Amino acid sequence: MNYFEVFDLPKILGIDSGALEKKFHELSRKYHPDYFSTGSDEDKQKALTMTSLLNDAYRTLRHPVRRVEYLLELEGYKSDGSKVPKSFLMEMFEINEQVEEVKSGSATPEQVAAVRSDIENRAARFDSQIEKASAEWDRLVTSHAPDAELKAQLSKLTEVLSESSYIRNLERDLEGTL
Amino acid sequence: MSKIVGIDLGTTNSLVAIVENGVPRVLPGRDGSRLVPSIIHFEEGGEILVGNSAKARLIENPKNTIFSIKRFMGKGIEDVREDLPMLPFDVAGDSEHVIRLKIFGKDYTPPQISAFILRELKQNAEAALGEEVASAVVTVPAYFNDAQRQATKDAGRIAGLDVLRIVNEPTAASLAYGLNEKQHGTIAVYDFGGGTFDISILKLSEGIFEVLSTSGDTHLGGDDIDEHLIRLVMTEIGGTPDASTIPSIRKAVNKAKEELSSSQEAEIVIDSLKFRRKITRAEFNALIGPIVERTLKPCRQALKDAGLKPDAISEVVMVGGSTRIPLVRERVQELFGRVPHTELNPDEVVALGAAVQADILGGGKRDMLLLDVTPLSLGIETMGGVMSKIIPRNSTIPASATEHFTTYVEGQTNVKIHVLQGERELVKDCRSLAQFDLKNIPPMPAGMPRIGVKFLIDADGILNVSAQEERTNKYQSIEVKPTYGLTDEQVEGMILDSFEYAEADIEARQVIEARNEAELVLNATEKGLRDENISELSNEERAEISASVTHLHEAVKSDSHTVIREAIERLSKATQRLAELNMNSAIRVALKDKRVREIQ
Repeated sequence: MNYFEVFDLPKILGIDSGALEKKFHELSRKYHPDYFSTGSDEDKQKALTMTSLLNDAYRTLRHPVRRVEYLLELEGYKSDGSKVPKSFLMEMFEINEQVEEVKSGSATPEQVAAVRSDIENRAARFDSQIEKASAEWDRLVTSHAPDAELKAQLSKLTEVLSESSYIRNLERDLEGTL
Repeated sequence: MSKIVGIDLGTTNSLVAIVENGVPRVLPGRDGSRLVPSIIHFEEGGEILVGNSAKARLIENPKNTIFSIKRFMGKGIEDVREDLPMLPFDVAGDSEHVIRLKIFGKDYTPPQISAFILRELKQNAEAALGEEVASAVVTVPAYFNDAQRQATKDAGRIAGLDVLRIVNEPTAASLAYGLNEKQHGTIAVYDFGGGTFDISILKLSEGIFEVLSTSGDTHLGGDDIDEHLIRLVMTEIGGTPDASTIPSIRKAVNKAKEELSSSQEAEIVIDSLKFRRKITRAEFNALIGPIVERTLKPCRQALKDAGLKPDAISEVVMVGGSTRIPLVRERVQELFGRVPHTELNPDEVVALGAAVQADILGGGKRDMLLLDVTPLSLGIETMGGVMSKIIPRNSTIPASATEHFTTYVEGQTNVKIHVLQGERELVKDCRSLAQFDLKNIPPMPAGMPRIGVKFLIDADGILNVSAQEERTNKYQSIEVKPTYGLTDEQVEGMILDSFEYAEADIEARQVIEARNEAELVLNATEKGLRDENISELSNEERAEISASVTHLHEAVKSDSHTVIREAIERLSKATQRLAELNMNSAIRVALKDKRVREIQ
């Protein structure tokens, strides 16, 4: 059973978080090991397996980026750094140098603030790109678009995700220093 | 099935509680006290005292009186090196991965010592309930790692208790507060105990207690405050400190600390050292300020992990004895901008919550459900000593992740895997959890085998591992060797060792059961003697009944169930004819009633 099937959802990325939570609570009440602790070993094992699957699914699907990663994995796509354009890599390299400066303590407070807001802006841009590409995927799926179009969209999602992971790493790196 | 109790196995005090008719209550000990000090005293003759009686030996015999053992659970000697100078215990040589305390030439691991406390609580519960108690829910600090949780479970096994669930202390406390009546809201549980600090943020909705995030410090508590005060006293006394005086200093500063929660000034008095010193609350606050500050950092982290600002918290609940300190309350109120709940006794609320969880597990309650999280990220060692996270912290448990491994050399049949817990990037900065080998991999060219290893954190927060070679579908045998813990065989050995205590347990339970029965028989006899049929008995018969009653009253004071049983037997024989007479007249009365009714 894949994570979408756990929640009885189609493989689309626009997920209503309120409805997802409600279903999560409902299924937790059905499967949680707490309700089987005096049952047979088989029942206990089943409760453990089902609930861990449910929790893994909820953890993944509630998060707008993790849910895209999961869909790509399910469809056999892997975010691959080698496909990232060289110009983009150069930009990242420059920001990385600035982050290193912040980490070494040689940057002025103004420079720190500038690097920070640069990274935050880029991250926000990626978030909206992911959101847009996700919505487009949903549109294609629900309108029964031909396979070629679906595949193209999956490639597009892979690309955006690969690029955004650079920024997210830089963000984490910077956060660790503050 | 037998009753399930809730146990708070604390650093300073431990308690046992149970839910009866939907209400949790603490079961008092056989000495009448609700708190069992987590102190174990070993007598030279082999006798072992637990609780208040052990606490009484703390000063005269510190070497053989163990306290705060919880701080040693799941730890190696290097983890506690800093604490050792302040502790009077003898540590055995072989303590690198599991600390061993040497007491009268015998080594004891922390789970074995904790088992004495659990056994005491089990016996207390059995005495209070008059029946066997075989299973329990035991609480641990939310920030306990895998090894510390496993050590707690091991302690339960050694004590002869089936630990049905390990529950996090702050989460247990939230159950006890009955906050479900509020239906919805976000609460923060600030749990500052004797040895550990936890913060948990929970979201409540219709009986579901969903933990959003948790953080803490498993080595930060009232003990640290005491140590600051001890150091202050030792500096003022001057000269070379004598370790044997520490217990009396600890006792005196502890008393002053407690007084300062209600008064502005207290005095530290140590008669044996002719030491006397006033301390004001302001001075005390300045001294402990940095410790209280250390608890606020995890609070901010937990808020951040939950994606919340302090003003999103609708209730703050205080748990643990150290939350009685006014400075602690002030700082927590400042951080969250609201007055924290302190209605329930902070020493008892965790045990009460554990009892509620025990009731849920026993099938008593289905409207409440606790969804807890793992406090630390789980990861594996990858190339270059880097930790690769596979289950992030604050994931709802049970949680799992499957990783795929392959071979690097042709025909390789073994792959080593190193599992870690922690948040840092490098293996050396994380806590090693376990190492294991994937063995008997079918020989294939390098990179060909595809071994799926499933890492599953169960509802106790403890790791389980299983593996499968996916091309051959063959399950791999995995022997997980805990880095800081006991193997299954070691625990088995300790269970065997503990059988001598287990025999004492059975004897104690039989005595309890015999005493309960004696009470029933004595009550019934008393009633029977008031009956009119008593006049039908001969003088000899009446004399024998009265002698048997006196005999049984004496016998129940004995610690031997056979003595009590024999006395019960004698009384039953003596009252047999009276019972028959009473029975006959009862039947006559019943028949008479019937006739009267039939006539009507």
